[in-house]
Amino acid sequence: MNIVGEVLTTAIPGSVALLYPSLGELISERSGVTNLGTEGAMLAGALSGVAVTIATGNPWLGVLASLVAGAACGALHAGAVVWRRANQLASGLVVWFLALGVTSVLGSPLNGQVIDPLPAVRIPGLADIPGVGPALFDQNPLVYLAYVAVPALWFFITYTRPGLTLRATGERPAVVFASGSHPSVIRFAAVTVGSALAGLGGAQLSIGIVGNWSDDMTNGYGFVAVAVVIFARWSPIGVLIGSYLFGAALAVSSVVQANGIAVNQYLLDALPYAITIVVLVIVSGFGRSNAPESQRDALSETQ
Amino acid sequence: MTVRNDEALAVAPPRAIAALLGFAARIPWKRIGIVVGAYAACFVAFAAFSAWQGGNPLTLVQTMLNSSMLNGDALVQTLLRAVPIGFAALAAAIPARAGLVNVGGEGQLILGAVAATGTGLALGSQVPGPLALVATAAAGAIAGAVWAGISAAARVWLGTSESVTSLLMNFVANDIMLFLIYQPWKDPAGSGQPQSRPLPGSVRLGTLFGGQLNIAVFVLFAVAIGMWLVIRRTGWGFALRVVGGNPEAARRNGLPIKSLLLSSMLAGGALAGLGGALNLMGVEGQLQPGVTTTFGYIGFLACFLGRNDPIKATLAALLFSAIALSGNGLQLVEGLDGSIVNVLLGAIVLTMLAIGRKNGERI
Amino acid sequence: MHKRTRAAIAMMTAAATLALAACSSSTPGGGSSSSPATAAGSTTTVGFIMVGSTDDAGYNEAVSDGAKAVEKDLGTSVKVITADQIPENDSVTQTMQAMVSQGAKIIFATSYGYFKYALAFAKAHPDVTVLHQGGFLDGTFPANFGTYWGQAYDPVGLGGMAAGGVTQTNKLGFIYAFPIAQTIANIDAFELGAQKLNPAAQTYVVNTSSWCDPLKQKQAVTALLDQGVDVFSQHQDCQSTVIQAVKSAGKKIVGYHYDAAALYPDGWLTGSAWNWAPIYEKIIGAVQAGTFTGGIYNANWTGSFATGDNPLELASFGTSVSADLQAKIKAEQAALTKAGSSIFTGPIYCQDGTVLVAAGKVATYADTNSFSCLVKGVVGTLPSN
Repeated sequence: MNIVGEVLTTAIPGSVALLYPSLGELISERSGVTNLGTEGAMLAGALSGVAVTIATGNPWLGVLASLVAGAACGALHAGAVVWRRANQLASGLVVWFLALGVTSVLGSPLNGQVIDPLPAVRIPGLADIPGVGPALFDQNPLVYLAYVAVPALWFFITYTRPGLTLRATGERPAVVFASGSHPSVIRFAAVTVGSALAGLGGAQLSIGIVGNWSDDMTNGYGFVAVAVVIFARWSPIGVLIGSYLFGAALAVSSVVQANGIAVNQYLLDALPYAITIVVLVIVSGFGRSNAPESQRDALSETQ
Repeated sequence: MTVRNDEALAVAPPRAIAALLGFAARIPWKRIGIVVGAYAACFVAFAAFSAWQGGNPLTLVQTMLNSSMLNGDALVQTLLRAVPIGFAALAAAIPARAGLVNVGGEGQLILGAVAATGTGLALGSQVPGPLALVATAAAGAIAGAVWAGISAAARVWLGTSESVTSLLMNFVANDIMLFLIYQPWKDPAGSGQPQSRPLPGSVRLGTLFGGQLNIAVFVLFAVAIGMWLVIRRTGWGFALRVVGGNPEAARRNGLPIKSLLLSSMLAGGALAGLGGALNLMGVEGQLQPGVTTTFGYIGFLACFLGRNDPIKATLAALLFSAIALSGNGLQLVEGLDGSIVNVLLGAIVLTMLAIGRKNGERI
Repeated sequence: MHKRTRAAIAMMTAAATLALAACSSSTPGGGSSSSPATAAGSTTTVGFIMVGSTDDAGYNEAVSDGAKAVEKDLGTSVKVITADQIPENDSVTQTMQAMVSQGAKIIFATSYGYFKYALAFAKAHPDVTVLHQGGFLDGTFPANFGTYWGQAYDPVGLGGMAAGGVTQTNKLGFIYAFPIAQTIANIDAFELGAQKLNPAAQTYVVNTSSWCDPLKQKQAVTALLDQGVDVFSQHQDCQSTVIQAVKSAGKKIVGYHYDAAALYPDGWLTGSAWNWAPIYEKIIGAVQAGTFTGGIYNANWTGSFATGDNPLELASFGTSVSADLQAKIKAEQAALTKAGSSIFTGPIYCQDGTVLVAAGKVATYADTNSFSCLVKGVVGTLPSN
């Protein structure tokens, strides 16, 4: 197998675990709220997914539970930010800490217990494409759902009325208010839904990929999701590209080593973060016209 | 005369009471009540959570106090742990004055420790003691400043969000440290342990009072007070507040906004770097992978809890340090999971977030 | 204004009452529990500190099982206290301090990175006996300090034999965390063991830069599967993910740290599993009898097959290991019990052809602690090369 195909097979499951939180973060930021609690929502989703799967034997109930757990984290963040005008970044970090503590305590007895990950569903025909076929079309259903989710979200925010309202909330809340909607309610909903997607990303990690729970198993991927959104300039297609690129950068270390090529592992480990930083700097250097207006405030000016 | 005196006496008490009442009215009793109530509520909620996890809510507070403050050894440990957390808190507090968000305290702590290790090992035995000591600490501060400066420069000249870049750079900093201690700096006499050579005694902070306490925590208090003065009493501090509070006004008044933003972030990074260096020189003694574990993030939260005020942020760091330490007691005495302290920590900050004055707070 | 002041005072009073209530309710209970159990005659309090979760089906669970066995076997003569998830920095000093406050006289610091803190703590607290698991002290021992470990590489080599005997593709995979000496010795032993039954067997190595990062572990398995690897082994703290991933792929696994055959009975070949209780109990006994100082545990103690006390034992065989293969492995294990024998019997060559162990020589435990090359037959490089 060629090395590109190998990177793809290795990377895609992990990329999808990044894609969902990134899409969630996109929705949240489009409404004007940055959510660093994404990391916490992923942890909560990962744990509740495994716990419910073990309890019920049905991984799809686990997936459902991860959505609920993620949404709960999001509601916490949204409540603090939207109604109490709390500092967005601090509130996000707090949600992360809370989730870190709670999942570590509650997840302790589950460490080491295994479940069967979501089974791969092979799509006949497409999966036989040499090179990329197995990587793209012999995966679990959450991976395929992601293929649909990206264009769906793109259509939603570009062409539908609620999508327009969502964007307007991020750009001109006063106009939204004047037109009879409540920006606070929209923000609350956007953050909660976005965080539910982060929970789903956690489920992809724990139920979709590895089949168990382990303390702090997200290792900062939730923070990466925040970066992916900026990297993507707040567009769903960009998020798709960004999370797949980042996922590939994560996987490349394993593939290169397995091929017996000498590498500097620390350089490779730092690479995904370094690339993201460099791209962020370049992207912002070319202007940030695409950023929701409130995001410019939230992320760089003040608040 | 006497009559007037008597009159005065007769009148004075009500006046004094009125003055006292006036003073009492100026104290934000309601605010204090809410805050105290909120803390109490956090502890009650935490006690309930612990009880659910099999702890004894009645002995909980006592156990936590015992293992963080009420015995001498534990108190010393709390003070030692407060050093990295406190400096990371200051590192967030100074840029926050100018409206910048430094989430990179963790990485700046790490690189401060890395630079201090390099400098301390290189200078330790060749330069007279005090000079080597100062140079090692200074190297940490410079490294922290450089690391934060990258985010600041990208923010000032290219408009990249400094919060996200500083956050991501934490991961890069950790990889830099791992690379150094697994490869070029690995201690040849370390029995294969991934760690640098131990710092020579000349660049270690001596212990005080015959215990483990060292001067670093006093440096932290001094720096906190110094920063408080700088922010309140100097033109730079005032200008930072103007930039952070009203950038438009700052622009109209011709303040050098770019250099103010840059300098605030550099100062913050230098403080975190200094914290990393002092923690290494005082407590750790050699660079190894676990040199900081989320201390930078906890510091950021402490800064938030202290509402960007250097002194309050340092006090918050002490509180968080004590809470972190009490995790030992909760495990050993109450049989709870040690991570449960993160629940309390998160609950406190979240509650403070929720009761924070609307619109009033910036970080 | 009057009204507001009164309201504020009322709230303040309420808050104070609440705070007071919280304090007073905690005091009586706290008073009774705060006296540590030192008074009780001959009871020794023993503390165990772990870096990970006690339920990781790996390194830390093995320690936790050992601690539980100590509590059960030694009954009233010991009181066991444990702390887990303590990071490898000064936090461990704080935990040891807290254990001493609880009356601990013996402390087992069981993670590799605790070494220097354990040593420093022992020096600072002459009345507490501190043991470090896995470390190696090159120098003089304080009277109250010791390290202990097992010749892990011997059972790992036996696991390698199972892998070599079963592989169809002659490609074995080894997933490790960091290139420390212990790990290098394990990789080398695994490959040497495989070569005993299958000279063509090659071991592909991938590191994850983390002792437990499930996503990286899964990616390592996937990448190795793409190379045609059909038997896996690992040196990670947690092993569920790798076993699960190997199970999904229908390949075989040789375990490490903990007997996890139950997770995947069909694909589990064998492995090595820590049985710490015997050595814990001997050390505690020595301290209680006053014979610790100057004794064998006041040093770098290493158990081995040759001395019959290796704390790392061969795990159970899975269903897919034939009786013939089991017999060969058991024969080799029996051979290793002869004094002076080891899997590292020369000549052994590094990948680049340099001599690692000269012909006729046997590497000692101390030698293996300075191993820094992968042997011939391993595919891949250490990051330091």
